Amino acid sequence: MLSLRTILRPTRRVHAHCDVPCGVYDPEQARIEAESCYRIIEKYHASTDELFRQRCVVVKEARAEETKHHIDVMWHDYFKPEHVEQYPDLHDVCWKASKAASKVKQSTDLEAAKELLGLIDRIDEMWKGTGGLAKTRLNGRPS
Amino acid sequence: MSRRRPLLAVLGAGAGIAAGVAASRWLDVVEVHGSSMTPSLLPGDRLVVECRSFSLRAPRAGEVVLAADPRESGRELIKRVFAVSEAGDVADLRGDAPDESTDSREFGAVPLSEIRWRAALRYWPPQRVGRL
Repeated sequence: MLSLRTILRPTRRVHAHCDVPCGVYDPEQARIEAESCYRIIEKYHASTDELFRQRCVVVKEARAEETKHHIDVMWHDYFKPEHVEQYPDLHDVCWKASKAASKVKQSTDLEAAKELLGLIDRIDEMWKGTGGLAKTRLNGRPS
Repeated sequence: MSRRRPLLAVLGAGAGIAAGVAASRWLDVVEVHGSSMTPSLLPGDRLVVECRSFSLRAPRAGEVVLAADPRESGRELIKRVFAVSEAGDVADLRGDAPDESTDSREFGAVPLSEIRWRAALRYWPPQRVGRL
């Protein structure tokens, strides 16, 4: 026999959820990390010091991972369904940018780093076209 | 005597709900976490939810509903229906406290197929027992 207490004990939690979205977004974050990858790859190829080259690889992998994170934040958090209507290739561009960041992480291919920068610039265009600077930064970017 | 009436009412309502929950697969009891539905629902509020209504009809604007969190599988959200699309396939869900709510403004409209439960009444705390 079920007791009243058992029956009235909630069986599940429901979330009146808030993840405190700060609303601040800027693809520049991804761009800076990606530029860092680009420069590190240049330095890697220019050097014959094996220790330095190893350091380049380690640091570049960390920067590439950061790039990917910032791309994902734009993709998953900033862009909304109405932005996808405005830019039908939005998902494709973000997906390719995320893939390109992975490739930069795995390789020392300067062309891959260049491609990544190009894709981040596409994200930047879409961010600007959807209100970017005025909507998501406190007072615009510092000049 | 008058002081005891609310208690009796709560006990009576409790027994009624208990019988209903035990008897029915359409009812369940849940606890609210988070404060995005303030002031209508507070953290710790316990509610009776039912899934009969939405098997018969679509959710309506103003109703408090449970929905799978589109961004975190396994988590269930409680929000109010702000609007249902003209095509009747998705709903715009909002918290009653806009500044403290992550909702359709962030994650977009939610398919009606993900909205099965309606919050019907609050049975705890006793001083705020009532229909929602």
